Amino acid sequence: MIIVRRVKPLPYWVVPVLALIIGILVAIIILYGISGGQIPPSDVLVSIGQGFLQPHLLAMTFILLSIVGVGLLVSFKGAIWNIGGEGQIYMGAMVTVWVVLFSPIAMMPGLLGAFTMKITYLILAMILGGFWAFLSAIPRAYLNLDEVPITLMMNYIAYYIVDILVRGPWHERKYGYLRTPTIPENSWFRTMVIRTKGQIIATTLSMELLIIMIVIFFVAWFLLRYTTIGLYIKVLGNNPNLLKSSGINVKLIILLALTISGAIIGIVGAGYVAGITHNLSYPVEEKSAQYGYTGILVAWLSMLELIAIPVAAYIIAALYNAGINMQILGAGGAAVVNVFIGSILITYTALIMISEYKVKFVIKRRRG
Amino acid sequence: MAAEAKIDQKVFSPPLQPIISLRGITKRFPGVIALDHINMDIYPGTIHALLGENGAGKSTLVKILYGIYTPDEGEILINNEPVTFTSPMDAMMHGIVMVSQSPQVIDRLTIAENLILSLKRYGYFATLGRIAREIRAIAKEFNVKLDPNIEVWKLSYTQKQIVEFIRAMLLGAKVILIDEALTYLPIEEKKRFYEFIKNFKERGGTVILITHKIYEALDIADMITVLRRGKNVGTLTRQEADIDKVRRLMFGERSKEITYERLPPGNPNGDLLEIKDLWVRGDFGEYAVQGVSLKVRRGEVFAIAGVAGNGQKELIQAVVRIRPYDRGKIVLEGVDLKDKSTYYLRVNGVGYIPDLPARYGVSIENTIVENIAVLPTYARGLIDWEKIRNLALKLIKEFEIKTPSPDTPVKFLSGGNIMKVLVARELNTATKLLVAYNPTRALDEATAIKVRKIIKDKVRSQGIGALIASEDLDEIFQIADRIAVMNSGRIVGVFDAEKAKREEVEKLMVM
Ligand SMILES: Nc1ncnc2c1ncn2[C@@H]1O[C@H](COP(=O)(O)OP(=O)(O)O)[C@@H](O)[C@H]1O
Ligand SMILES: [Mg+2]
Repeated sequence: MIIVRRVKPLPYWVVPVLALIIGILVAIIILYGISGGQIPPSDVLVSIGQGFLQPHLLAMTFILLSIVGVGLLVSFKGAIWNIGGEGQIYMGAMVTVWVVLFSPIAMMPGLLGAFTMKITYLILAMILGGFWAFLSAIPRAYLNLDEVPITLMMNYIAYYIVDILVRGPWHERKYGYLRTPTIPENSWFRTMVIRTKGQIIATTLSMELLIIMIVIFFVAWFLLRYTTIGLYIKVLGNNPNLLKSSGINVKLIILLALTISGAIIGIVGAGYVAGITHNLSYPVEEKSAQYGYTGILVAWLSMLELIAIPVAAYIIAALYNAGINMQILGAGGAAVVNVFIGSILITYTALIMISEYKVKFVIKRRRG
Repeated sequence: MAAEAKIDQKVFSPPLQPIISLRGITKRFPGVIALDHINMDIYPGTIHALLGENGAGKSTLVKILYGIYTPDEGEILINNEPVTFTSPMDAMMHGIVMVSQSPQVIDRLTIAENLILSLKRYGYFATLGRIAREIRAIAKEFNVKLDPNIEVWKLSYTQKQIVEFIRAMLLGAKVILIDEALTYLPIEEKKRFYEFIKNFKERGGTVILITHKIYEALDIADMITVLRRGKNVGTLTRQEADIDKVRRLMFGERSKEITYERLPPGNPNGDLLEIKDLWVRGDFGEYAVQGVSLKVRRGEVFAIAGVAGNGQKELIQAVVRIRPYDRGKIVLEGVDLKDKSTYYLRVNGVGYIPDLPARYGVSIENTIVENIAVLPTYARGLIDWEKIRNLALKLIKEFEIKTPSPDTPVKFLSGGNIMKVLVARELNTATKLLVAYNPTRALDEATAIKVRKIIKDKVRSQGIGALIASEDLDEIFQIADRIAVMNSGRIVGVFDAEKAKREEVEKLMVM
């Protein structure tokens, strides 16, 4: 038995699928170990199984993570590592709250219908998210500074800005909480309630957000498949020198890759506020669902293939859901989700390295 | 074994045992048999040249010898003992070291640090002091001064290649594999490497040298093996080999097309490109181009001869606007290029073949079709993939690019075929002007001549202008209508190609 370097890479889905299976096994062992046997593997498996089989409960997480995944994929294709999803989300969330509560539009109720209102804040969320990413792109494009620490720091700046607003001018003075007022119901993304035979099932599915997600997928697919900008982003990730000698402005493509990425992710901020929380509370860093970071895992698990993004997002959303199920069972707190995600990420990283090699069996012939 | 029957080459049988024997080595890639039952013996203390047209399987063969690929069939014997190499480590254990074309070094570290790291990877430990001493000693053999404590990014490409050789020596190489590692070296410096290799041989070392320059192989090699479409079509000793024989083995019928005769002249007609008193800085801020003036007419090839490093690269890069210039003027069809970008040139019919193709000319992770679509000449805004795919198919046919499909990532092509993709695209782009630096350096002889013919045809029939800098005088004399010699950043002579004398040009080059 020998180990050799692979000539042809594995099909792209092999590593993520293995990472999931092994990662979950590792998580089960860890949970079993740290709970001193209090969390039996069977409970975990049942929770995970349930988690996957409850699409109506994980729909919201699935949709928002998918959008973040697509946004990150656009920049990752260009080898621009946008770690700033959180900041871009909060800029989108911030402007959404502003539009529906504090803007001149908000001062004149009834001026815009609910639909126009939503379109308005979605567009502004895109612009703000894009702008936030654009700010990190400038030092990358013009000074060739690493975008990873910059996008990361911009997350904290975004958190602080929102914190200042929530504690200051946007503070809801009615109750003792440090949060903004709740946004009016007609600006919400409503989740569906299914009524069958007298039974009422609450879901987390918003048809509007689902449509937005589908549109974003289509746009991203079209961008990467049929536009020169998409091609340039992909070439940027492989050999920027070729762009240069082709006459393409490399700096512009860097700016575009990050800005488009941020604009897509900004929409998630609007979806998050209008679909889930309906307000912003202090301190945002603790309250955040951290989709900006979890989205990185979604993008990685997709192996940067657009069609795999929803699959990866569904899986991660299901694990979130499984974590919640386990809390309901009384098995572990919110950190359970992190155990899942951490194990998968580590397994994934290890497998990516190993996947460059393969095991081969050869029969050594003696001469003679 | 069936494979044994296939060998028909004359076997050179010195009294020695071969140090390496290949028996029936076969390697398949999806859609191609890269190596088809190769038998070959390498004798110690010889320089064994491996020749073959682009895509013949040369790189695959040495990669197998170096443990990068494992053969699908066949075996490798070292000193008559079968071995299985599954990583370069294994090859190294048997004293086989590869010198690569793209130096494997970390730019931020010094030469000595780099070497310590790579030795460590192979399980050797050495002190900085010892390494530094060795580096100086080996550099001395090359007749160069090399400070072991200088960071690698400050080195020229040649110096980095020397570092590669020093690494091989430090690893105690008995057999060095050189896969076109000298292709991109300036001719003068290449000679120094050859001296070094000969020295190594005289001390008992063995060299497997891949090159597509037959003359170089005839100059330096003791044995020559020719591969053709994955088969060993002949092994010759130096005495048996001559240029015609080798060419016939390499190219078969196509060898008849090889000629260095001057191609039919262009028909110059009006100024196309004018350069006036141009000053361009090199990578270290010095003036690499010092007041160059020249005119390229429509319908002519204006060639720039010169030893590498005399400002040709900077001049060419300034013309295509990927390098800024300080003073002077570049005018294309009456338009001053000062405020124009590379983009403007590309969409206005300027083709550009850069030096170091894999670095500047193609993106190897992308497909052939994508490598064409990336030029704004072919797609702006939206991409019509059907149109570009058809163009790719046409170019693949015209240039005989060996590839399973136009949608194959370029990295799966052999080096010469990668170059063909680049040349084909740029020739197709050049509807007005072609700017090139060493356009055929990575190509085998037959293909190189074919490319020159295509360029000249285009110049003659479509009236485009061509500005071509080359270090290869054969190329210059074959293709040029006018020849300028560049030396130390200046044009030191311009000749009508018809009247130019080779000795005179050579004299000006090294003056
Ligand atoms: N990793 C690979 N995957 C697929 N095809 C390959 C790979 N490496 C080489 N080939 C193919 O094998 C043939 C021989 O290539 P190579 O050994 O690089 O030729 P050369 O003689 O020019 O060095 C070519 O047709 C090339 O396209
Ligand atoms: Mg090769």
